[in-house]
Amino acid sequence: MVFILGVNFPERNLVKKALQSFFGIGNDTSARLLARFHIHPTCKVGELANKQVLDLTAALSDMKIENDLRRQILEDIKRLKETGTIRGRRHALGLPVRGQRTRTQIKTAIKLNRIERRL
Amino acid sequence: MRATQALLKRSVWKGPNIVPLPLPRKLPPPPGTPPIKTQKRAATILPNFVGLRFSVHNGKTYQDIVITEEMVGRKLGEYVPTRKRFTYKHSKNK
Repeated sequence: MVFILGVNFPERNLVKKALQSFFGIGNDTSARLLARFHIHPTCKVGELANKQVLDLTAALSDMKIENDLRRQILEDIKRLKETGTIRGRRHALGLPVRGQRTRTQIKTAIKLNRIERRL
Repeated sequence: MRATQALLKRSVWKGPNIVPLPLPRKLPPPPGTPPIKTQKRAATILPNFVGLRFSVHNGKTYQDIVITEEMVGRKLGEYVPTRKRFTYKHSKNK
């Protein structure tokens, strides 16, 4: 068991997948992080040196991930609504925001688009 | 971290879309001045527009908006919708 940024990961997991479990880190960002600290792409969490774990944790704590990122996204949507933009209005109505057709195929927008969007 | 996202925006060499609008000479404009009537929905809102009233075309009529500080950098048309919500009108004779 290895702690990265306060989260416990089992040793058999890939480091890349472990990093991707944070909200805001995807394929691209995790690959870049691995390259930055000279970790090979198929490295398991158990194989990490102690210093590498500390480096990763330090790098992650500088980035805007998890709840900070969620809060920022919600604030951005709220600001759009408060300034009276069309995009904000579309969020509030639960309709597609970027000019997609609304006759059919808007289930995703109905499910997700709202002011207090679930992330 | 993602460089490509910025590339999908307007080209940098063009700069922001600055449209010559008939701005008032005196700032702030005296009360009673009519809003600036325009059809240039794609005009970028500049910092010196803050506090002015614009009358922006929505395709049919002109709608008034007051520019606040948060709107700087956006376009005039973002604040004036062009579509009408569909409402069913009951008609007796077909």
